[in-house]
Amino acid sequence: MNTVDAKIIHRRKKISLNQWILTIVLFLGSFVMIVPFLWMLVTSFDWAARLHINFPPRLWPEEPSVKTFEAAFTSIKMFRYITNSIMVSAGVIIISALSALLSGYALSKLRFKGANIVLLLALSTMMIPFEMTMIPQYLLFSKLGLVDNYLAFYLPALNYAFGTFLAKAFFDQLPTTLREAAILDGAKEVSVFSRVYLPLCTPIIATMIILLFLGVWNDMLWPLLILKKATKYTIQIGLAMFTYNNGIDKQPSIIMAATTVSLIPVVVVYMFLQRYIIESIALSGIKQ
Amino acid sequence: MSLNANMKTDTFPETSNKRKKRFTRNDWMGYLFSAPLIIGVLAFAIYPMIAALIMSFHQTSGLSVGGKWVGFSNYNYVVHDSLFWQALTNTFFIGIWSVLLGIILSFVLASLINNLNWSTGKNFFKAVFFLPNVVSGVATTLLFSFLFFPSKEGLLNFVIGLFGIDPVGWFTNPQVSRYSIVLMSLWGALGYNTIIFLAGLQSVPRDLYEAAEVDGAGTYRKWFYITIPYLRPIFVFMLIMGTIGAMKRFTDVWLIGGTAGNPGGSLMTVVLYIYRNAFLASQMGMATAASYLLFIIIFILTAFLMLLNRRKDSFD
Repeated sequence: MNTVDAKIIHRRKKISLNQWILTIVLFLGSFVMIVPFLWMLVTSFDWAARLHINFPPRLWPEEPSVKTFEAAFTSIKMFRYITNSIMVSAGVIIISALSALLSGYALSKLRFKGANIVLLLALSTMMIPFEMTMIPQYLLFSKLGLVDNYLAFYLPALNYAFGTFLAKAFFDQLPTTLREAAILDGAKEVSVFSRVYLPLCTPIIATMIILLFLGVWNDMLWPLLILKKATKYTIQIGLAMFTYNNGIDKQPSIIMAATTVSLIPVVVVYMFLQRYIIESIALSGIKQ
Repeated sequence: MSLNANMKTDTFPETSNKRKKRFTRNDWMGYLFSAPLIIGVLAFAIYPMIAALIMSFHQTSGLSVGGKWVGFSNYNYVVHDSLFWQALTNTFFIGIWSVLLGIILSFVLASLINNLNWSTGKNFFKAVFFLPNVVSGVATTLLFSFLFFPSKEGLLNFVIGLFGIDPVGWFTNPQVSRYSIVLMSLWGALGYNTIIFLAGLQSVPRDLYEAAEVDGAGTYRKWFYITIPYLRPIFVFMLIMGTIGAMKRFTDVWLIGGTAGNPGGSLMTVVLYIYRNAFLASQMGMATAASYLLFIIIFILTAFLMLLNRRKDSFD
């Protein structure tokens, strides 16, 4: 009895020392992860760094000012790009989520002929890299005259096979008896879906919105191909084009101010939904 | 991927009246509800795949899908283009380093976080290490182009300068630029792998450890003989996802080195090669041939990595 207690106490002490070492190591690691963000913030508020990086690096701006942000909004059309990005993201999220929920419902609850084939087809196309299909897709949209048109984002959004898969798995967990009862009561299929099942789907809808938002907001390759007019640019391509044309490492504080602004939406979403985002990503295991 | 692995083709029990010829009302409803997905898949996945295949056998002019049939000559050109091989070598080089280092580092990191007894701390570190993951490739690249500034003003050069090392041209010296990309992508991707490893670590059954403790195994032996073998499917999953991602590298190298893959072509990647042939040289046929080659390479690598999961071990 006594020896066991002694062992446990001994162990506790040892663990707490380990815990201290662990915590310190992890804090050092987090510091390395955070430093780039701190540097970005300090530089973005430093009017003195509008032409050259400060040397030596500073912990506080040499000339603290928001003029850098004013400059970012005037020389880069940030306001317009952000509005555009919101329009693109909102449309893609609504269309993709709706397509995924409808098809997930059909595949899970309606058990129609050929459902297996539809599911298999959708899942196997998930493996096709976008880089592979981007050229024909670009040609398709340019032939349809949809270059610089956000339909080039909205239409491909119909193909959200991963969301279908998530939604189907979610609907599989919901009882089929709900549908049977509603149908017996004379409800139409559409209202079974929208009135009975959809209200139960909030968790999966939230997951899809988060994953889609992060994917669309941060995407650059498709906007690079399909958006030619600067007035149509989304935030990523607008920022990229500005630096691509002016030199990537020029005007530090103005570019950092613009970058900071471009990060605000994702970081705000991340701060509020952080645990939720981490959970959905750990669960989904797929980033895009 | 891991999700696919769980999928069974017989998810739907055959209905008893499968012989019935006519479609029921239920079937029509099913097609109606799946129509957006079916249209999306057909128009934006199947059609482009087929169109790309057809284009890769044609000499295209301008923006048309068709052109003169040229057989395998597009493929022949790409395979004999030294730039393609350079791009492939660079892509592999950056990919292997970033995937392997990323997996090792994030596994160590996840193990450290998992061993914390302090749950607020756990959540805090998870959140901090994951944060760069929500940052776009464009923002990451812009940020690192300043942190990796080639003169002594750059933050990283300042830090190594404290140890008496001369400034390094992180993104301007062709000898180091690929390593710099690896460093940058580690910063961005570390948290993602860590989160998945953490979920995996929590799934290792406690009694395995307890049994090992009874047998007198220490912390490190438990780590090597229980944790690592138990998490093998996660390692394989990460190798696959990492490889697929690495083969598609574009945004950062395009922003840093433009379509030439500067400095000195050291950042020319396969997707950059496809992009410049398609949209700068308007050689759509050749570019689609290159994209099919990329697809085949990804496919072979994925199949090969999946075999790693097949091997039987004591946990199966």
